[in-house]
Amino acid sequence: MRKEMKFLVVDDFSTMRRIIKNLLNDLGYANVTEADDGQTALPLLQGGSFDFLITDWNMPGMPGLDLLKAVRADPKLAKMPVLMLTAESKREQIIEAAQAGVSGYVIKPFTAVTLKEKIDKILEQ
Amino acid sequence: MTSGISALRKEFGETLATLARALAAGDEALFLAHLDHLVQRRERALFNDLRRLTSDLQAALERFRVDSRLVDLAEKKVPDARQRLDHVLKLTAEAAHRTLDLVEQSAPIAERTAAQACDIIGLWQRFRSRQIAVADFHEMLRRMDVFLEAARTDMDVVRGNLSEVLMAQGYQDLSGQIIRGVITLVGEIEVALVGLVRLSKSQSSSVSTLQHEACRGLGPMVPGADRGPAVSGQQDVDSLLSGLRV
Repeated sequence: MRKEMKFLVVDDFSTMRRIIKNLLNDLGYANVTEADDGQTALPLLQGGSFDFLITDWNMPGMPGLDLLKAVRADPKLAKMPVLMLTAESKREQIIEAAQAGVSGYVIKPFTAVTLKEKIDKILEQ
Repeated sequence: MTSGISALRKEFGETLATLARALAAGDEALFLAHLDHLVQRRERALFNDLRRLTSDLQAALERFRVDSRLVDLAEKKVPDARQRLDHVLKLTAEAAHRTLDLVEQSAPIAERTAAQACDIIGLWQRFRSRQIAVADFHEMLRRMDVFLEAARTDMDVVRGNLSEVLMAQGYQDLSGQIIRGVITLVGEIEVALVGLVRLSKSQSSSVSTLQHEACRGLGPMVPGADRGPAVSGQQDVDSLLSGLRV
């Protein structure tokens, strides 16, 4: 089941989406869909059977924190693992994300090892 | 001022004459009605003056607001933006160097692999056409062993380098976020300057209010430009989150 998991990667920078997608492919996750902000991501999440959400915070349209809150507020999506992958590094922001129910928080710039560790850790739970 | 007097005469002459006539005739109602009319006319002029004064005052206050916004932009935000752009320069230079280093490391490895394959091809073709001597056959096997082993380790290195090249492209996201912040600042300066120009052209025109972007994230931390409690890396994030039991 693990390697067939469906990932949704949300970031407004297409370069970053490509990086994350490539890293996920390296880790053996071939089923990766992209979205460029929360507004386009949310209908995809509601319509598709995604298993894992990786999202940036700072995006035009709907920011990642709002997307996280929307996911947690939707009974069908509430339990989905959400990994925040962002350059937002203020302590209160990380606390805010934690309070909103984030499953993991990776700060940019990040390494392939860190991303793997956090995904593995979330999937263990 | 003679024209002033004649204007006054034109404006009030008729009414005053009517007033005098009403007073002489003892027509109280007519007298009071025209007196009220007179007073109302004076009040209207007074209100017009007052309205003009108020709008002047409002324009002055707005100009002050635009001025202080400009001062804030010039004193704080512009140097801050310069620092952010400097940081972008550093990020892009680092990423470019990292990428070039990795390409320079990988190119000789690829060349070596190609050269080793070349060394074997001649022997291999003779083997395929069954024209190889036994000694050459053994030499070919020896070279094959060396080649396969080297190709495996070399290509692992190249694969690793390619992954690092991939990661190095993350600078585009980080620098892009910073540049977007600077673009927003330039927009703000533009609005403030346009407001100032408009105010100096016409006292009465109103200034469009400066819009403040809702806080949808702050973007990457820029060393020197950002202060306040921030984490310094992934380890900090992890310990903060484990404290919060995430």
